[in-house]
Amino acid sequence: MKVAYWPGCVSRGFTPELHGSMAAVAPLLDLELVELDRACCSGAGVIAEHNQELADTLNARTFALAQQVEGAELMMNICSTCQGAQGECQERLDANTEYRDHVNQTLAAEGLSYEKGLTNKNFLWLLVEEIGLENLKKKVKRPLTNLKVGPFYGCYIVRPTDRLGIDDEHPRDQYLHWVIDALGGTVIDYAGAYKCCGFPIITMNKQNSLKQAGTHLADATDADADCLVVPCPLCHLNLDLQQPLAAKAVDRDLAMPVLHLPQLVGLALGLEPKQLGMSKHVVKPTSVIDWSSAVVGAPAPAGRAGW
Amino acid sequence: MPAHDVLIIGAGLAGQRAALAAADAGASVAILSKVHPVRSHSVAAAGGINAALNPEDSWESHAYDTVKGSDYLGDQDAIEVMCREAPDEILWLEHAGVTFHRSPTGHLGTRAFGGASAARTYYVADITGQAILHVLYEQLMKHHETVDRYEEWFTTTLLQDESGRCVGCVARNIRDGRLEAFNAKSVILASGGAGQVFKPTTNALICTGDGIAQAYRIGAPLMDMEMIQYHPTTLAENGFLITEGARGEGAHLYNALGERFMEKYAPNKLELASRDVVSRAEQTEINEGRGFPDGTIALDITKVPRKRTLEALREIVNIGKDFAGVDITREPIHIKPGMHYIMGGVKTDVDGQTPIPGLYAAGEVACVSVHGGNRLGANSLLDTLIFGRRSGEHAAHRARGVAMPKAPASVLADAQGEIDAILTRPTGGRRISQIKEELGETMNQYVAVYRDAAGLETALEIVRRLKDEAPNAAIDDKGTIFNQDVLAAIELGYMLDCAEAIVVAAQERKESRGAQFRTDFPERNDAEWLHHITISLNGDGPEKGVAPVTMTRWEPQERTY
Amino acid sequence: MAEYTLKLRRYDPHTGEAPYYEEFQVDLEPHRSVLEAILQVKAQQDGSVGIRCSCRAAICGSCGVRINGRAGLACHTHLDKAAKTGVNADGRTILVEPMGNMPVIKDLIVDMDAVHWKKIQRVTPWLLAKEPVPEREYVVPHENMVDVTQTMACIQCGACVSDCLSMEVDPLFVGPAASAKAYRFVGDPRDAEQFERLKDLAEDPHGIYDCTHCFNCIEACPKGVAPMSQIMRLRRVASGDHHIEDRNNGSRHEHAFVKNIRRNGLLHEADLVPDSYGGKFHPRAVPELIASLPIVINGLRRGKMTPKKALLHEHKAPKEVKRIFDVVEGRDQRYELNLYISGTEDDESEAQA
Repeated sequence: MKVAYWPGCVSRGFTPELHGSMAAVAPLLDLELVELDRACCSGAGVIAEHNQELADTLNARTFALAQQVEGAELMMNICSTCQGAQGECQERLDANTEYRDHVNQTLAAEGLSYEKGLTNKNFLWLLVEEIGLENLKKKVKRPLTNLKVGPFYGCYIVRPTDRLGIDDEHPRDQYLHWVIDALGGTVIDYAGAYKCCGFPIITMNKQNSLKQAGTHLADATDADADCLVVPCPLCHLNLDLQQPLAAKAVDRDLAMPVLHLPQLVGLALGLEPKQLGMSKHVVKPTSVIDWSSAVVGAPAPAGRAGW
Repeated sequence: MPAHDVLIIGAGLAGQRAALAAADAGASVAILSKVHPVRSHSVAAAGGINAALNPEDSWESHAYDTVKGSDYLGDQDAIEVMCREAPDEILWLEHAGVTFHRSPTGHLGTRAFGGASAARTYYVADITGQAILHVLYEQLMKHHETVDRYEEWFTTTLLQDESGRCVGCVARNIRDGRLEAFNAKSVILASGGAGQVFKPTTNALICTGDGIAQAYRIGAPLMDMEMIQYHPTTLAENGFLITEGARGEGAHLYNALGERFMEKYAPNKLELASRDVVSRAEQTEINEGRGFPDGTIALDITKVPRKRTLEALREIVNIGKDFAGVDITREPIHIKPGMHYIMGGVKTDVDGQTPIPGLYAAGEVACVSVHGGNRLGANSLLDTLIFGRRSGEHAAHRARGVAMPKAPASVLADAQGEIDAILTRPTGGRRISQIKEELGETMNQYVAVYRDAAGLETALEIVRRLKDEAPNAAIDDKGTIFNQDVLAAIELGYMLDCAEAIVVAAQERKESRGAQFRTDFPERNDAEWLHHITISLNGDGPEKGVAPVTMTRWEPQERTY
Repeated sequence: MAEYTLKLRRYDPHTGEAPYYEEFQVDLEPHRSVLEAILQVKAQQDGSVGIRCSCRAAICGSCGVRINGRAGLACHTHLDKAAKTGVNADGRTILVEPMGNMPVIKDLIVDMDAVHWKKIQRVTPWLLAKEPVPEREYVVPHENMVDVTQTMACIQCGACVSDCLSMEVDPLFVGPAASAKAYRFVGDPRDAEQFERLKDLAEDPHGIYDCTHCFNCIEACPKGVAPMSQIMRLRRVASGDHHIEDRNNGSRHEHAFVKNIRRNGLLHEADLVPDSYGGKFHPRAVPELIASLPIVINGLRRGKMTPKKALLHEHKAPKEVKRIFDVVEGRDQRYELNLYISGTEDDESEAQA
């Protein structure tokens, strides 16, 4: 399957392991990623906060670029915040022809035009809706047996439900549960699964930001999770990069590894932690590494020098 | 014990407006409500508020429409007062911050409404009641130093001194169950109507006729109790209201044969005839077999441009979607007449005074009467504000010449005794909900759009039987904190008193006028029946009386739309 | 008719014992509301179940509760939908609890005065009318009154406050309901103190920049008020129109982000934090940068970031992107489409209309 691929900003910035693991996993899922290298940041909700039309126009440009990719079935992103921020802009663009025409006028100088109705799916949705869980199960080489995974959905990919197309036919707010399950893992339910990591206010109210991250990490720890999995690199930053400070903010000892979704999928499909960039995490995913090396019958890649 | 110049019971539009007016006039004010003020049923009023503010309009025209709408039972002096003062009230509201809809020039904009000869209904989308109520509450928050609010306090009795003056009330703090005697120089009842007496009804669960019954029990006469308004467009299953504003925006009514039947009944005003005319038209179509199988008629709002519907009828878009599964911008919605408003109530003069010194009433609880036999849409919001304000002002001025009464301590013990009696009722009888349900269904069957002697007699027998049974209904909750069970028992008593008065009055009026239509007396009979019927408590039963209709400039005429 | 199991959280303030869950069986048509089910329980099984309710038609705002963990109106939630919501849904059981972030008085009744109304009162919730007051009505543009109808539609039910995640970690946060109420006045041309209101809420460390942008309030609101969107509008007006530079770095963060994308096309994270404080060498930024040193060191150690990546700007925004910034930001007035007001076209025929 060929997709117009928007990797977002942070996967090419402070979470390069996300970009790398997605690239490693794609061929195993028969996914051809055509990267939108001329597209720019989705705004992460902040540009829209500043000026709606600006965010709508920048994203309309990205959508138009995606629509130009020959043979692409849809656009795919690997960041919940992009999904949410782009979704909000798309809702406005699709709702009103006059507005869309107005925005397209600004894009016209570049020869671009956004046509209503682009399909933009996060990798998580793609796994379930396009690749399919049955298909995914067949590709699993190293089932995540005995690995206890806590899903952290965060905010942008689960609210508001009507804008994100979450309904009875597409219970997208349960997909992480399903994927963990399909990969053979044990789903750990804990209080923070749908709460906020705090990233948006890290510069405005650092205490509150870190308290949120710390609380959810602590809840997952108390629920005995081995690791969390997140579909958003911004969440990853607040939960992993900031974990030492988050621990201080809630006065707890924390050592909760946080995996990107493609990393979890990659592990199950037979890739090694190092291939998936897990050495770049601030919180060493020791429990995951231990688990992966303890699994009997796991493929041992040549030249593996140990951790 | 709290002591104030003016005590207001009920914090809907009439009560809150009275409080602000009384405080403005320098009185010390307390306002009591059994729910948080913004939960008062005024919040559900949708369509708008009438005023002849447009220079091309005239208050006389508004007054005439109201008199005609009342089927000539309305007191014309009171109607003149209301219509003349309406324009200033709208401007007062606007200055206080109400977000009225605007015309393209930025001035106050109007919409058409039932029974009106000119478009004079000012509105905020279809949440006019909510918009005004919330703005009034904003003002109460602003004036918290001059108006004491007692939120979630339930009034159990009105207090009288030896001379019969009303001197306050006993109320129970719902949150902790404690009783308090409120002393006041003047008491204003603003506790709303009694819709829960009927099932279904558009009215909220709190509309249990508390004030009507409390006033009745201390000897205040009730008036026009037979005049019950059935609103033409309510959802069949649950009785929810679809605002008249929809018809004001251009929606049509169709029967199951696709006919726009209002052409037969009201060739000029069609869907915007007065409510009793439209309700009767619908009921006739249904009774004669031209309704849909579920006993309804179609209201077609698709006639209104979609953008306009979203802008001005947002609330019913939501109601249609949430409670009927219908997108009103795409398909008709099924409705039928449903109990909505009581024109009758505690008899007052144009300043809200009842014959009991110190006791006032304003809003739906009162009967001035400005609505007579039928109320025009968007006149109720006006009624509450005009007479709320006037009562507040008058009560404040009266307070200057009156000494502060002090209720004896025994009143609390008496009230507690009544509550204890409820708490200790033995089990074995039917539950309160069962009695209430039988009452509601009975009233909706025999005292609805079409009535007759046999039906009314049956209704009265049932009501009286339920009155005997009600004191035996045991309750589950014996606690003091937020005991809703005890309140339900007390409310049931109020509802039964109201129901009895309604049926007796309907029996007494052997004529059809306004909302009362008797199939055994189908004609209007001015010669014998152009007067109000009053009901007063005598011993332990209702006594019928009469009160004249005040006419200033309009003689009764044949009423056609 | 269908059978449902209502699992209600009970709390008896008389005994003060810990709250517990009690199950009740009800038999109602699937499209009936959760409130109707609870009222059936009260009527037929246990009259002591406490819940506030009045209009049954989603306009009075009394019956705010949490159903399956999410706040909303009980009268507004259909039984069949409620029984299907949530990861553990079984098509039959419905969990009903009191709203969050507020003290519980009894069963499903919470003390809204202690939290919700306190915060409403904090934003001076009455019109501060412009002088001179005209003889007739203020003349105000039609669009403005339609615009504030969105926030005027708030029925003060508390659902947004219940689920506010910022308030969960910071009870002093002004909250979504109060912020929406604040916008009702900021957006009203008759109000004389737009700037003062905004400055107050922007400078408050628990004010509009404390919102963690989680969408819970938008999801919870039964009336389409979209409190978080109102908070964003307040920020937009405060920062963009009144140039209020708050001490919470809110306005600076917003401008830093925008500048960052305009320059780099992709977010250059290393600049974002210092720029939000005023710039790399700004006195405000220095303590923050020092405090971030452990993070930076961690990142460098792990290879997450390299000094080259942090200091050099590898990505540059294509000139087309820069042009878009210039064109759109250069407009005289911001063009803001509000779908609450304009609605959504559904088909082509409407688009042509």
